[in-house]
Amino acid sequence: MNLAQIAAITQHHLKGPYINWAALSPTVVLTVGAIAVLLLGLLSSPMVRERLVPSAALLTLLGAIGAEISRFNHPATIVHGAMRVDDLAILIDLICAVSAIATVILAWRSAAPREAGHGEFHALLLFSVMGMAILASAQDIIVLFVGLELLSIPLYILCASEYRREGSLESGLKYLIIGSVGSATLVYGLAMIYGATGQTGFTGIGNAIASNNILTDPLLLGGIALTAVGFAFKASVAPFHQWTPDVYEGAPTPVTAFMATATKAAAFAIFLRFFDVALISDQNKWAPLLAALAAITIIVGNVGALGQTSLKRMLGFSGVAQAGYMLSGVIVGTQLGVSATVLYLGVYLAMNIAAFAVIQAHQIETGDDRIAGLRGLGKRSPALAASLTVAMLGLAGIPGTVGFVGKFQLIHALVDGGYGWLAIVLVVGAMISLGYYLRVVAAVWMSPAGEHAEISGVPAPGDVLPVALAPIAGGSPEADQLPYTEIVFVAVLFATLCVVFGILPSPLFHLAAHAGAAFSGLF
Amino acid sequence: MSPTTWGWLVLLFPLIGTVVIGVGFKRWGRAAGVIGTAAIALSFVCAVGALVTLLGKPEHGRELTSSLWNYASAGGVDAKLQILVDPVSVFMILVVTGVSTLIHLYSISYMKSDKGFARYFAYLNFFVLSMLVLVLGGNFVMLIVGWAFVGAASYLLISFWYRRETATKAGIKAFVINVLGDVGLVLGTFFIFRHTHTVSFLGSFAAAPHVFHHDSTDLVAGCLLFLVGAFAKSAQLPLHTWLPDAMEGPTPVSSLIHAATMVTAGVYLIVRLHPLFQLAPTAGEVGAIVGCATLLVAGTIALVVTDLKRVIAYSTMSQIGYMIMGASAGAYSAALFHLMTHAFFKALLFMAAGSIIGAMAGDQSLDRMSGFRKALPFTFACFIIGGLALSGLPPFSGWLSKDDIIAYLNNRGGVYEVLGILGYVGALLTGLYTFRMIFRAFFGEPSPEAKELEHGHLAHAHTPRNPMTGEEEDNDVGFPGPEHVIAERELPMKVAMSLLAALAVVGGFLQIPGVDHVIQNFLSPALANAPLASAAHEPSNGNAWIGLIIGAVIGLVGISIAFRIYIVRPGTAKRLQERLPALHNFLVHKWYFDELIDVVIVQPSLMLGRFALGVLDRGVINDGLTGGVTGLVRSGGAAVRRAQTGFLRYYAAALIFGLSLVLLYFLISST
Repeated sequence: MNLAQIAAITQHHLKGPYINWAALSPTVVLTVGAIAVLLLGLLSSPMVRERLVPSAALLTLLGAIGAEISRFNHPATIVHGAMRVDDLAILIDLICAVSAIATVILAWRSAAPREAGHGEFHALLLFSVMGMAILASAQDIIVLFVGLELLSIPLYILCASEYRREGSLESGLKYLIIGSVGSATLVYGLAMIYGATGQTGFTGIGNAIASNNILTDPLLLGGIALTAVGFAFKASVAPFHQWTPDVYEGAPTPVTAFMATATKAAAFAIFLRFFDVALISDQNKWAPLLAALAAITIIVGNVGALGQTSLKRMLGFSGVAQAGYMLSGVIVGTQLGVSATVLYLGVYLAMNIAAFAVIQAHQIETGDDRIAGLRGLGKRSPALAASLTVAMLGLAGIPGTVGFVGKFQLIHALVDGGYGWLAIVLVVGAMISLGYYLRVVAAVWMSPAGEHAEISGVPAPGDVLPVALAPIAGGSPEADQLPYTEIVFVAVLFATLCVVFGILPSPLFHLAAHAGAAFSGLF
Repeated sequence: MSPTTWGWLVLLFPLIGTVVIGVGFKRWGRAAGVIGTAAIALSFVCAVGALVTLLGKPEHGRELTSSLWNYASAGGVDAKLQILVDPVSVFMILVVTGVSTLIHLYSISYMKSDKGFARYFAYLNFFVLSMLVLVLGGNFVMLIVGWAFVGAASYLLISFWYRRETATKAGIKAFVINVLGDVGLVLGTFFIFRHTHTVSFLGSFAAAPHVFHHDSTDLVAGCLLFLVGAFAKSAQLPLHTWLPDAMEGPTPVSSLIHAATMVTAGVYLIVRLHPLFQLAPTAGEVGAIVGCATLLVAGTIALVVTDLKRVIAYSTMSQIGYMIMGASAGAYSAALFHLMTHAFFKALLFMAAGSIIGAMAGDQSLDRMSGFRKALPFTFACFIIGGLALSGLPPFSGWLSKDDIIAYLNNRGGVYEVLGILGYVGALLTGLYTFRMIFRAFFGEPSPEAKELEHGHLAHAHTPRNPMTGEEEDNDVGFPGPEHVIAERELPMKVAMSLLAALAVVGGFLQIPGVDHVIQNFLSPALANAPLASAAHEPSNGNAWIGLIIGAVIGLVGISIAFRIYIVRPGTAKRLQERLPALHNFLVHKWYFDELIDVVIVQPSLMLGRFALGVLDRGVINDGLTGGVTGLVRSGGAAVRRAQTGFLRYYAAALIFGLSLVLLYFLISST
């Protein structure tokens, strides 16, 4: 037999399933890129490791973004109904990819990839992004779980990647253990829903709930409860948020930035998809509960952030509060709600990346992430100080920044969906949050410590917690004091985006409306 | 140029001023004052331009909108960066920019030795910008933006002397209460938007009669929420406690923000949204009653307060009570008329008070002032003019404007007639407390400072002290500067005060019953569709004049009682205090409003905070919402250290606990 014959026979007898490669392309790009990066990391030349590997990771992410953009507005259901690549999934993928790009740049010269190995660090990051992409388009509970674990496991490792630093290891371990509890809860919930409906596909579950009249079936409701808790855990919704500040504080700052933005986006994507597609007919059961959780989250997060002295920890609590805001869009179960949540995820990305970039730059310089340590930043580096100011004002929702646009749309969705009281909680929460965001702004522009040590509102350097973040071994702070132009660039870029889209938000609204339209079953 | 072009220019100059001063605050030094004043003066010129061009339009074409770009046009929201130039907004920008220009001018002298001179003018320009956005905004979004910005500016300026603890605390208090108002405004907007599907003012007003029934629930709820916003910003009961504390800011700030402009935003809001309030008479009644209650409560407190600036602050609350009462009842043009005259004479009174405080080397207590009549002749003249206008004596401006409101109320009848009569009681109190101030500060035996000043020496404190607590201070940045100023020796202050004094005398002549109705005629195109503003509801000239005469007599009675108590028999006040200790205590404690709020709001939130500290989270609140942040930080720091040891099992336990609750909820709901 010659080769042609073999080919012909293969083609005839080994028929694979039809695969829509075009729709799957973002995931494929990420897979190929991740493996290539991992292999590149094996080469021993420092030039390859420190330059080529991150560049390859960036290239992969850019490729993924390209693939995503090309699939925009071409919704497709693939893998036998197990995944759906619609505009919601694409937008979430974009958010995650942009966040990962920022992470790669922030980590360019930081200790984390050097200690963990450049190949491993970047490959794990890419795998995590891939998990997010899968999770965001999951349309089946099996795919959901695969995506979730693919997202989480690399993150556990990334958190611990500065493994010579106690805080980093502690953070990774904490995240792993408590994350496993969360995952276990979720799996139980999914199993119970499967048991009640006999379906694994979201639409199948939705149809089964609607047609079999099992709206009040304890098995189903128990399943919903456990799933809700599982998702709430990933999205750091109170009272399942307690890991967040600890893990955020301990993890290397680039990884924290990634977790704060991308993980949150992916978690909310699946929140939206599962509750607003599969479980939408049971909405009047779960919506009041989620609304109560959102209210608790907003209060706990904002009140928790008030007392923090560590910037990263404060942003951890603020992330909890913001998760409460974003949950509003899930609760109302309308297209407007979906688009409001996606819009908020987008603006949250810009504000948080800007903030974390400044923290990273500041930490490289001083080895310190205390809020009080920021004093004098306005003099040392006006660009960084201005970026942080914009980020903080944005997170607080001051008009003229994207934060205002995002909150505006969420309130709109809430009032439109009949949850006016939650809108009140949201606004009150946003106002409380000014208390800690403005404190950062004040610290940034104040003269360096020592000139007016008694100024109220900013703790005197003596009475705060010991500086836990200076590297213990490996790299000393002095060795890390390299120029950090690329980090300043990231900070300024995202801060600029915060302002530009705060003044001209129409494009954001249009993009987010696409995400809302992806759920044709909603109003 | 069209009126809207002028309108944009009105906004442009304060913006330029803010940016220029803010960016180059180190370079400008003293020039910052000139830049700031010039920016606002140019803005005033443009406001006049807007007025002239608007008057050139036919009456039915005097509501013009202009938008720079679409702010948001998806998801049903159609928010534009839009201004609305109509008689109401032009009236407001004229008052705001006009008074602001004079107060900027005054500030050049008043703040001259302060280390934060440039910062002060950057803030002040920012305030004017925000206030102009508030009054020019063409939709609810712009209104909310302006509303939030003036709150922020007010906060910045109250705690301008940021190393004074009393000032930072007052700033926080003002901020928290104003935030409550912001919440009301935002939610009210969405209640309306839900039905009208547009955020633009004109669109909402056009749609409102079709989508809302008379007094329908959502509309009343929306209007009541707007009133919460108005009450918080305009310091009406029970959200008024921040205003007296706001006197911690520099005196020109009290004059501009906490007397003439920002605190009247609530009145503007009601007038601006009158098409909605007309459809919700219930909300209107609530507003009128609260306004009246504030008028009386604040008037009585002003009788016993001994801090000069705080007396004027309570007087401001009380006068805004008149305006809120009038605007809620439907006397729109009368309310705006009083807003204007009040801006003149109240700004003047504050400026004069600033001059006296300068002569007292920073001391604000009425107990220590006396006999400044000869030492400060110019200030005395200004204070008398302002005081007569405030007390409503003819022919001063306050007489015509205040009685315009009361006459309308009496004419409307029903519950409003009762409010009108109570308005006269308020007038009596006004005359009494105003001249209590004047007689105590200017008459009687000259105080040591006054005597010294008569010999040409301006009193100077050896160690600067906080006038409220007596704590020692220095003159560095964050505290007031070393020099004290009096109007007699500063030309800019003199010019500003003379102009305002002239306006306080003649400002009322714009609207005299039976003679001219300039303001009413000017505003009428904007109020064309308001049945309450129609001629049928306006009092006849005869009734209006009867009201004016009664008002003048009552003001005079108030003044003569003050004269009897403080001049003829100087010991009377003390004897009254001894005879009626309970009443005096009650008034001195400001009707126990702070204590009430403490019990109703602060204590529960403290308890909640303790609960949160122990159970919900690892240590956050050890103080109420309005408490200082420093305390929080300390307890937070301790709690964080404890948490660093990592109680993983507690996290897991919390997760399981929360899970059980969620599960329980679903299982209960399944039955």
